[in-house]
Amino acid sequence: MNTDDNLKLFLETTGIQGFQHAAEGLSGMLGEQIMPTRPATRMVPLVDIPNVLGGPEREAVGIYLQSEGDLVAQFVLVLPFEKACELVDLVIGEAVGTTQVLGSMERSALGEIGNITTGYFLNRVATIMHWDARPSPPAVIVDMVGAILNVVTATVAGISDEVLMLQGTFVRAGREVEVMFWIIPDANSLEMFKDARS
Amino acid sequence: MADQALPVGLGEIKISKSPGDVLVAYGLGSCVGVGMYDPVAKVAGMLHAVLPQSLNGTEQVPGKFVTTGVPKLIEEMEKAGALRSRLQVRMAGGANMLTAPGAKQAFNIGERNVLQARTTLDTLRMRLQAEDVGGTVGRTVRLFVNDGRMTVKALGSQEKALA
Repeated sequence: MNTDDNLKLFLETTGIQGFQHAAEGLSGMLGEQIMPTRPATRMVPLVDIPNVLGGPEREAVGIYLQSEGDLVAQFVLVLPFEKACELVDLVIGEAVGTTQVLGSMERSALGEIGNITTGYFLNRVATIMHWDARPSPPAVIVDMVGAILNVVTATVAGISDEVLMLQGTFVRAGREVEVMFWIIPDANSLEMFKDARS
Repeated sequence: MADQALPVGLGEIKISKSPGDVLVAYGLGSCVGVGMYDPVAKVAGMLHAVLPQSLNGTEQVPGKFVTTGVPKLIEEMEKAGALRSRLQVRMAGGANMLTAPGAKQAFNIGERNVLQARTTLDTLRMRLQAEDVGGTVGRTVRLFVNDGRMTVKALGSQEKALA
């Protein structure tokens, strides 16, 4: 997959607006001020993808969605298991530390976080680009980081040994929440970004 | 002597004859980890394959695909002194990680990886001794070079031997 620095900058510039909008949505949902860090566009070798969040064996939660329409992409929010429990507490209005197990209700709350984050992101990017884009229902995966991210790597491995992704995190109360938000556009969508940039 | 973990990452093939080494494929989701061991030469090898086969004929990284990775693993084992006829072959992984309604995972890659591995091994006349595959959970698989033990561990479960 060929990219250039201008495309990366364009993706980041567009992406920051999407991230800001996603953070607004999360703030509303959680009742707390959530700010995004500036997203970065990176080409990540396939073999390095599982080595995030403390390594491929660490227990984590992945919230996975896809988008259809003009922007076809994969969206993954990945966060450590204990952080996912904290977010659930915020969503359902419990004291932080209450949630210890992620049952169906808790997973539904996390899925909704994925819906809000991705939906707000897509909404802003689609508005900027005058595109149509619709998110899929979320899948919430509680497992090792490597297994979660296999969902992404299996999709792109047949095309490339590297993945272009827009990556950012969210900051809550001055501390990074350690929620990684990855957006992985497919090759056709990248071409559309290139065309729009030129 | 403490064990030395040798990670086998996505698309990688690793071989070892060092008794203290443990070949490890962490967090296998839909990927399959194929382990081979020659108990006489004490050579161990592991493949961490991502997809069943290449669709466009480009195979710069043979370990990414089951169809090219398994023969390459055997070739590397033989270069290290293993005898094909002595190889103990075991496999783990191939889960379906996306089970939410409406979630699409193209053609259930995990299941296809497992089926392709069985077919490829059969074509190469290699007997699959044991496997722990399928389901919906990730696995970490370890192959101990000193005695050829292969273990599988899922989150929340005990590590168990793959006999």
